[in-house]
Amino acid sequence: MKHFLILSITLLIAVVLRSQTTSGQKAPEIALPSVTGTIKKLSDHAGKVVLVDFWASWCTPCRKSNPNLVRLYAKYKNKGFEIFGISIDEDKTSWKKAIIHDKMSWTHVRETGGWDGPVASAWKIEQIPSSYLLDQSGNIVAIDLTGNELEKKIVALLNAKI
Amino acid sequence: MINGFLFTFRPIYFRQFNKHVIMKKTFIILFFFVCGIATQAQFKTAILQASGLTCAMCTKAINNSLEELSFVESVKADIKNSAFKIVFKPGIAMDIDELKKGVEDAGFSVAKLRLTGSFSNIEIKNDEHVVINGNTYHFLKVNNQTLNGEKEITIVDKNFLTAKEFKKFTAATNMHCIQTGRAESCCKKEAGAEHSRIYHATI
Repeated sequence: MKHFLILSITLLIAVVLRSQTTSGQKAPEIALPSVTGTIKKLSDHAGKVVLVDFWASWCTPCRKSNPNLVRLYAKYKNKGFEIFGISIDEDKTSWKKAIIHDKMSWTHVRETGGWDGPVASAWKIEQIPSSYLLDQSGNIVAIDLTGNELEKKIVALLNAKI
Repeated sequence: MINGFLFTFRPIYFRQFNKHVIMKKTFIILFFFVCGIATQAQFKTAILQASGLTCAMCTKAINNSLEELSFVESVKADIKNSAFKIVFKPGIAMDIDELKKGVEDAGFSVAKLRLTGSFSNIEIKNDEHVVINGNTYHFLKVNNQTLNGEKEITIVDKNFLTAKEFKKFTAATNMHCIQTGRAESCCKKEAGAEHSRIYHATI
């Protein structure tokens, strides 16, 4: 019984640890089609502070957080900050409409395979919104930060470079 | 003379009786055969809305939980209905209660479940039971009609819709089975054995 409990707890911890791409890890590469169909890579933005944002047009919490991202992007895009948006929308039209509607002018790609697509699987995405903040070397430094917390971290990373 | 009459009569009577039994048997077989054909439906897809504290569509948990079911082919986000579109594997009987359990295991509840299937000659009457694919369905708030071809039905059993919506349907019947989803002694006889599952539905 005791052994069983220890085993269960170990398994649980293992599952929790495996469940999401973790902080400190090198960000897995992303190469997906953009709105126009050209392949965009995450590595295209190497050297910048990048927010990797998984979302979808039908995800209400994602849409609610978009205005804050628009604000941050406008404020820091010329200082070395970039947003790489990955949508798991299966409907291309809804995706494009949402980008225009929410005025999101950063890089957008679509995981055509949805939840089970290769990129969503590689990043172990189990829920959206899921966001990862990468430093200039492409390492994940923070996960799912929102609002002021996110801004503070972006500023800290941008200043660290200088 | 009397003996002789009885002797000649008996075989005739016996033969007639025998014929009657055979005819009755044939009728029973025919009846089941016709019923068997008449109450078939193949459920192909379902639109499922889930509710909970967080955005149900924003978690993969429901997809994972439903995809594990043996009769589910795929689960996708249906943007128009802000729901899940479930495609069933052809030829495998789907289980409505298993779908609900899947959603509940993921930590959500079913807010709406609409099933699309192809029906052949299924006569439904308001507030009456009908057997489809061996399962008893109880249709509420419907016009009496014969279902043919591609049709959509909505499950209105408790915990398959919002409490408010459920109340509307409980008011539409005097039969107690709507509360439990099970046959009760007060329910009509053709519903089957007591406590057997009765699915409540509307169109």
